[in-house]
Amino acid sequence: MKGLPPPAGGLALLRHWVVRRLALAVVVVLGAASAAFAGLWLAPGDPVQLIVGSHEVTPEVAARVRDDLGLDEPLVVQYGRFLGRLLSGDLGHSYQASRPVADVLGDQAAATVELALAGFLLALLGAVLLAVATAGRRPWLRRASSAVELVLGSTPAFWAGIVLLTLFSFRWQLFPAVDGGGLDGLVLPAVTLALPMLGVFAQVLRESMERSLEEPYALSARARGSGETALRLRHSLRHTLVPLLTLSGWTVGSLLSGAVVVETVFSRQGIGRITASAISARDLPVVTGVVVVSAVVFTVVNLLVDVGYAIADPRLKESLR
Amino acid sequence: MPITAPQPASDDIRPPRARRTGTRPGLRALGTLALATAVLVATAACGSSGSGSADGAGAAGGGAPVDGGTLRFAAEVEPDCLDPAVSPADVTGVVDRNVFDSLVRLDSAGTFHPWLATSWEVSPDGLTYTFHLRTDVLFHDGTKLDAAAVKATLEHAVDPATKSLYAGGLLEGFAGADAPDPATAVIRLTKPRAALLQALSTPYLGIQSPKSLADNAADLCRKPVGSGPFSFVSWEKSTSVTLKRNPGYAWAPEGAAHTGAAHLEKLVFQIVPEESVRQGQLRSGQIEIAGNAAPARIADLKGTKGFQVLQQEAPGQVYGLFLNPVAGVLADERVRTALARSLQLDALVKSVYHDTRHRAQGPLGPGTVFYDKSVEGVLGYDPAGAGKLLDEAGWTGRDADGYRTKDGKRLTVVWPTSAYLARDNRDLLAQGVQADAKKAGIELQYLNQDPGTFAKTAVGGTADVLGFSFVRPEADILRHYFGSASTADKGGSNLFRISDPQLDGWLDQGASSSDPAVRGRAYAQAQKYVVDHVLEIPLYVPVTALGASSRVHGVGFDAAAFPQFYDAWLAAR
Repeated sequence: MKGLPPPAGGLALLRHWVVRRLALAVVVVLGAASAAFAGLWLAPGDPVQLIVGSHEVTPEVAARVRDDLGLDEPLVVQYGRFLGRLLSGDLGHSYQASRPVADVLGDQAAATVELALAGFLLALLGAVLLAVATAGRRPWLRRASSAVELVLGSTPAFWAGIVLLTLFSFRWQLFPAVDGGGLDGLVLPAVTLALPMLGVFAQVLRESMERSLEEPYALSARARGSGETALRLRHSLRHTLVPLLTLSGWTVGSLLSGAVVVETVFSRQGIGRITASAISARDLPVVTGVVVVSAVVFTVVNLLVDVGYAIADPRLKESLR
Repeated sequence: MPITAPQPASDDIRPPRARRTGTRPGLRALGTLALATAVLVATAACGSSGSGSADGAGAAGGGAPVDGGTLRFAAEVEPDCLDPAVSPADVTGVVDRNVFDSLVRLDSAGTFHPWLATSWEVSPDGLTYTFHLRTDVLFHDGTKLDAAAVKATLEHAVDPATKSLYAGGLLEGFAGADAPDPATAVIRLTKPRAALLQALSTPYLGIQSPKSLADNAADLCRKPVGSGPFSFVSWEKSTSVTLKRNPGYAWAPEGAAHTGAAHLEKLVFQIVPEESVRQGQLRSGQIEIAGNAAPARIADLKGTKGFQVLQQEAPGQVYGLFLNPVAGVLADERVRTALARSLQLDALVKSVYHDTRHRAQGPLGPGTVFYDKSVEGVLGYDPAGAGKLLDEAGWTGRDADGYRTKDGKRLTVVWPTSAYLARDNRDLLAQGVQADAKKAGIELQYLNQDPGTFAKTAVGGTADVLGFSFVRPEADILRHYFGSASTADKGGSNLFRISDPQLDGWLDQGASSSDPAVRGRAYAQAQKYVVDHVLEIPLYVPVTALGASSRVHGVGFDAAAFPQFYDAWLAAR
């Protein structure tokens, strides 16, 4: 496209840009898939040995596994086949579950999405409350809140989960330790997932809110007699939330990686748990499936965010080229 | 290969596969920390710790059994597949034991009892086994048990398409099965196999509904259909497996505490990977049994009112250090002996396992049939003797770090391992062994490798030391580690490629003879040989340890130390 004059008109420009981003997205996803392929297939040791594991397996069974996975073929052929299947939307067949990977992930996706959404909303809500309550207020309050956020942001989810379990499940028995299907089983896992994110969100939001409170519109609102809290909620908050968009890539990442830990601690279903067990069982097709799906989610989210930015903020139009 | 899945029928309800996540050791350490808090809190919440509860109290009495109730068992690991013919995992065996009945039952004394087979005969040449089946047995799908079901089950296990990771291997030497009439099943072997009955007694060769095998072929992993005291209800992936009582059950094995249907209404296996969470659930009454109680928890539970510890020593190959007698510094028997004699194993095992495990004396656990007492005390602690042997072997020099040297070369012994093998405090134990070896001037390098590298090293036969265990109530397991035909390429665990005609003679005799006296003599000699020539330094005898509410009664252990729930019942709260 280089050398061509930029298409006239904002919409055409946007379309051009989206197409280019989509092409890039495909490259990113393929790259992630290839990295997963390389990482797992080329890891030391014979994959069959790692998959088969048990030592009483007969050589015929080992041969069968090798054949199933196409491990007899040269690496290039294996890689080509892998990409070919991927491009046709086939994620392969789980060795461990003896089912298509798409089914395995499909079954588990809802649980993880539920957990991730609940965790995200909790973190957002908590962070907004903290930011509104502490931004530009008394220095000691700010410092105290900031310290708490730092601790939350750097507490490993595993530790937080166990402490929450110990108090709210084992001691006071308010929530079950293991999800029984009800909403009460979602509370502790969602809180555990939310806490570290809450810490980061709150820091970002407070900074951003403090900046927005110095904008002229804040001054004019004050001049009109608006109360401080009303100003924050009605005027400042909308501006304040924009930097969170920038964090969305990080957010998706921490939700996915947090899910691995949280789902394990709370014995929940989900993609995270499947990933952990697939890695431990060397269920290569599932691992690559998870990598591909995560890469797709990442790319789509980032794409949407960028498009959102471009639409929301005319100043960014320039950068579209 | 034992390398990756060391214990298809291993020492606890914790199969190999799920132990391979890179994140876990870290999680684990944190969990231990958090657990300290959990336990403090929970102990306080449980009130005074009064009279201790006895081991196995659940198995003994407690009044008349009560019918009904749901027993919730928190297992550390999720079954990979519930088709017993496929999965090698312990947890699969524990779950499937309730769903599937076997032809025969093996008790911990080594005696076989009728179960689905009322009687059986072995041909004089040991090549043909004829089983006479019960005729009143129904599978959960209503199909009747007959010889065709037995034939279909066994053929399913050995079919390469099943990709069996354990059951198929148990049927070593299987030539075929016949069903001359509905009540008679015949198994033909290519060579005499004394361990066949033991293999048939495991849940992994539990008899499956032939209708299910035929109609359900693609879905056997998620839909086990047997004739056991509990039938399969559901498997919520990553969360739980639920079984319910089979009300029509009237074919309990000989030797069970009762007949007829099971006492429990429901049996739920929750999958709870974290030990601290299982303990917390147990102490707060959210489950009745916590699998894999860590050694440090066992004493706590015993001292807490309302709880008990159910435990059983596992038979089979103990956890031991296999020494490379073929290549490297340990090829010199004097060095092997010196290493063994420099370890203070009694004290080490006692402290690492908080007095919950016994030091192993020979390659087989004392609970294994044909265990031979003559191994006891052979490899005692004797630092002076060890020093003398090392001097004789030429390791007379000392370097700056205090290690012995020969021709300027340090006496270094390499022990590769991988994180998934480090369960059950084995890392700690290794550190103790390392420290003791250092006192004798031997540098023991305990190398943690990723599973792939480890598998390569182990199979390559280049290691000096490898640590494994394998639970199986059958002395034939020795052949698997020391028989010359059990090298890695043939699916065995003789990773150092030991080829010793004398040892082979005893192991083959033990494997093929149907005369217990002959087998006993052969295995006694093999065990003695292993310790005399220090092919292995036995470390400790694995234990199945369950933390349980004292409401739990009647949970027994089978010959492999797997918990049994058919006779289990729950006292009122």
